[in-house]
Amino acid sequence: MSLVTISVDGKHMNVEDGKLLIDALIENQIDLPYFCYHEAIGAEGNCRMCMVEIEGQKRPQIACDTFVKEGMEIRIDSPKVNKVRQDILELELINHPVDCPTCDQAGECSLQDYYMDYGLYDSHIGKSEKNKKGKKVDLGRNVMLDQERCVLCTRCVRFTQKITKTGELGVAHRGDHSYITTVPGRGMESEYSMNVVDLCPVGALTSKDFRFNQRVWFLKPVESICHGCTKGCNIYVDHNKEKYKDDMIFRIRPRINKEINGHFICDYGRLSYKTIHENRYMEKVEKDEIKEKFDSIIAKNKTTKTAVLVDASLYLEEMATILQYAESIGAELLCPSETYLDESFEDDMLRTKYKCSNLQGIKSFDITTEVSDKEYDLVINFNHPDFVNFKAKQSISFQTHNNFEADLKIPVAAHAETSGTLLNIDNVKQYCNKIIEPNDPVLTINEWMEYLR
Amino acid sequence: MEINENTKIVSAKFEIPNSNTLEVAKAHGAYDAIDKAFEMNSEEIIKIVGDANLRGKGGGGGHAGTKWALMPCTEESESVVVINSDESEPGTFKDRQIISKDPHLLIEGIIIACWTVKAHDAYIYIRGEYKPFIDKLQGAIDEAYEAGILGDNACGKGFRVDITAHRGGGAYVCGEKSALLESLEGKRGHPRLKPKGKEPEWYFGRPTLLSNVETFSTVPFLIKHGSEGYHKLGTEKSPGTLLFQISGHVNKPGVYEMPFGMKMIDFINNIAGGMKNGKKLKAVIPGGVSTAVLTAEEAEQVTLDYEAMWDFNTELGTGGMIVMDEDTCMVKALKNILEFYEEESCGQCTPCRDGSGWADLMIGKMLAGEGKMEDFAKIQEVSDSMNGKTICLFGPSISSGLNSYIGKFRDEFEAYIKQGEQK
Repeated sequence: MSLVTISVDGKHMNVEDGKLLIDALIENQIDLPYFCYHEAIGAEGNCRMCMVEIEGQKRPQIACDTFVKEGMEIRIDSPKVNKVRQDILELELINHPVDCPTCDQAGECSLQDYYMDYGLYDSHIGKSEKNKKGKKVDLGRNVMLDQERCVLCTRCVRFTQKITKTGELGVAHRGDHSYITTVPGRGMESEYSMNVVDLCPVGALTSKDFRFNQRVWFLKPVESICHGCTKGCNIYVDHNKEKYKDDMIFRIRPRINKEINGHFICDYGRLSYKTIHENRYMEKVEKDEIKEKFDSIIAKNKTTKTAVLVDASLYLEEMATILQYAESIGAELLCPSETYLDESFEDDMLRTKYKCSNLQGIKSFDITTEVSDKEYDLVINFNHPDFVNFKAKQSISFQTHNNFEADLKIPVAAHAETSGTLLNIDNVKQYCNKIIEPNDPVLTINEWMEYLR
Repeated sequence: MEINENTKIVSAKFEIPNSNTLEVAKAHGAYDAIDKAFEMNSEEIIKIVGDANLRGKGGGGGHAGTKWALMPCTEESESVVVINSDESEPGTFKDRQIISKDPHLLIEGIIIACWTVKAHDAYIYIRGEYKPFIDKLQGAIDEAYEAGILGDNACGKGFRVDITAHRGGGAYVCGEKSALLESLEGKRGHPRLKPKGKEPEWYFGRPTLLSNVETFSTVPFLIKHGSEGYHKLGTEKSPGTLLFQISGHVNKPGVYEMPFGMKMIDFINNIAGGMKNGKKLKAVIPGGVSTAVLTAEEAEQVTLDYEAMWDFNTELGTGGMIVMDEDTCMVKALKNILEFYEEESCGQCTPCRDGSGWADLMIGKMLAGEGKMEDFAKIQEVSDSMNGKTICLFGPSISSGLNSYIGKFRDEFEAYIKQGEQK
């Protein structure tokens, strides 16, 4: 790899020889407008927004089809280039409905941003003269298409061709009457379909799940890790606490991590946030009362056969606490992994066959995962779903959801309400931030254990 | 055979009845050049094509020799020959004459081209709407297979040549070479991004020699008479002949093969029988609607060759002239062309996709008397954003149309606006 020097608006910078100019500019944090280019799906050269002036070339060139050479002199902020961008942007907008007030993309829309950067002209075309197309086309798989808002960058089409290789999307017709569509009567089929919503630079493709739920500028993104399977895809979790309401998660978006998930995540992971709010066990309990009951059950079972069940989606920090406690009372530590196993879930892209986020963590603590004997005198469950299959004379259950019955039920915080570390399938340690702060928070496992121990 | 200005290179057999059949074609010299061509090697044939300065006759007028020289000409490269017969430029109707009246001349040219670049597969991408002509072409191909001219042992030379006629789906943009190849590969007919250096076209990753029907049909003549024979016709820089087509307000519209360099006005008056009903000439589109229009004065000065056309900021294009008389409304003429472009823009690049529609809308408003003087500036801006800022030449064609019509006949556009303002 050899470095060459190029100059951008008079500033010199060293970049890799033969690199795509747009990549070099993005890498150096230079703002350049573009719609059709995307790092993961390549250049198409159709939007013509990334035009730059190159010394020695008569016409402006698109940066997504130009390779850097030694001594290249580029101007990206000159009156000539800005005029070209303004004209092309105006063309993008002549058939655009400009329905930003009802558009979910408003606030994170490239068209809006570029208009503020380069546009700012008076409209030359009447609303009635614009081309009319489908406003609400259901593409299936939680994706909704508004053909009028589309700028035909074909990122979504190329995504289904190059990434999922399912090719459900295509462009129909020609010219300014062309639009994105699926084969008639068929929708999107890929388990990764909702990524087109993030890829879409405008509000043409929206998520049915997120549509009309929240204005994006109210959302607070938190960096986190997906709990859907053992892959550990990097995500942003967008949440907001509306006035008089509880802190809620509204959507999950992929966060780029080229070592783990690249640019995308699966639809299952994207919608997995819903379980955090549904059917939660948030009972208001008296701490002292719980401690009293807890102590009496433990005291009765000092010498009996005791099992401690650990959920494989807990954080390493929680597992360590539980491990310590189980050793102190002489209990067996169990995590039946079969419960999470779903062979059909695995694919050759991101999804793995175990639907839990920290199975490697369980393995790192040497917790038994193969369990055949499920009869115990006392079972202390830490949110493990297989608890229902255990036979116990007495039981204590630390649970996030309302799905277990036990002699003593203790509400604990879900993974989004606390922070911790996960080990993914390749043993990469990743930290999850706390995302939401409920109005009536419940204690975390670590807080409970500190109190009860 | 003596070569003079009346020599017909590709239209020699047009007047002969049943010239599309192998029997008649062979009786009149079809496949005569094959033996000589197979005695030559690739370099020799490419040298003849280069020396003859054969120009691509599909509209671009590029040098065919340069294109042929880019081919690797080895068996290992698995080259392909593709014949562009997606003739959709309004005003153009020459390829179909060759296909229906002398398909064996085309097949002969293809075999020579295949031998030159060591290609065994040739695809004729033919406009889908040309059903009757496709039938004739397919008939000729079938006959050629039966006679052993095509197939594993083409012309008995131990060299396999297979020709497939592929019908296009009816998109104008597929006449653009890279869009044509995309379409031939079974994809949407979108032009490809152009390579940075000089390289051949690619069909499924195989080097491809792609030229127009008439270009390939000229090759047998070059083999028979050499580059000197070709240079006896036409001008120095535009040697040879072209199948000129003329339509519009003339007495004898049609296809006439003429050497390059004839005066346009002479062509209109002497070959095409002069203006219809004795009307005055107003304008001529020189080579299909994507070339800039010429006024009557310009048409009287210009000659029919590539270089002379450039002096008048237009192109010879396909040589399909559209003649318009004094009664023609240039605003309506432009509107007609813009409607075509709006329908046919492939929709890939933003400037052309939305610019074609917008230009059409603005000219439409002028026609309806709703135009304003300020619109000219906006049209100019739209025209500028289409010129040189798109992947293929479709955008610049619209731009040259807009600029030439409005630039040369602005008073007519203004008249519509003034008329509207008075209402």
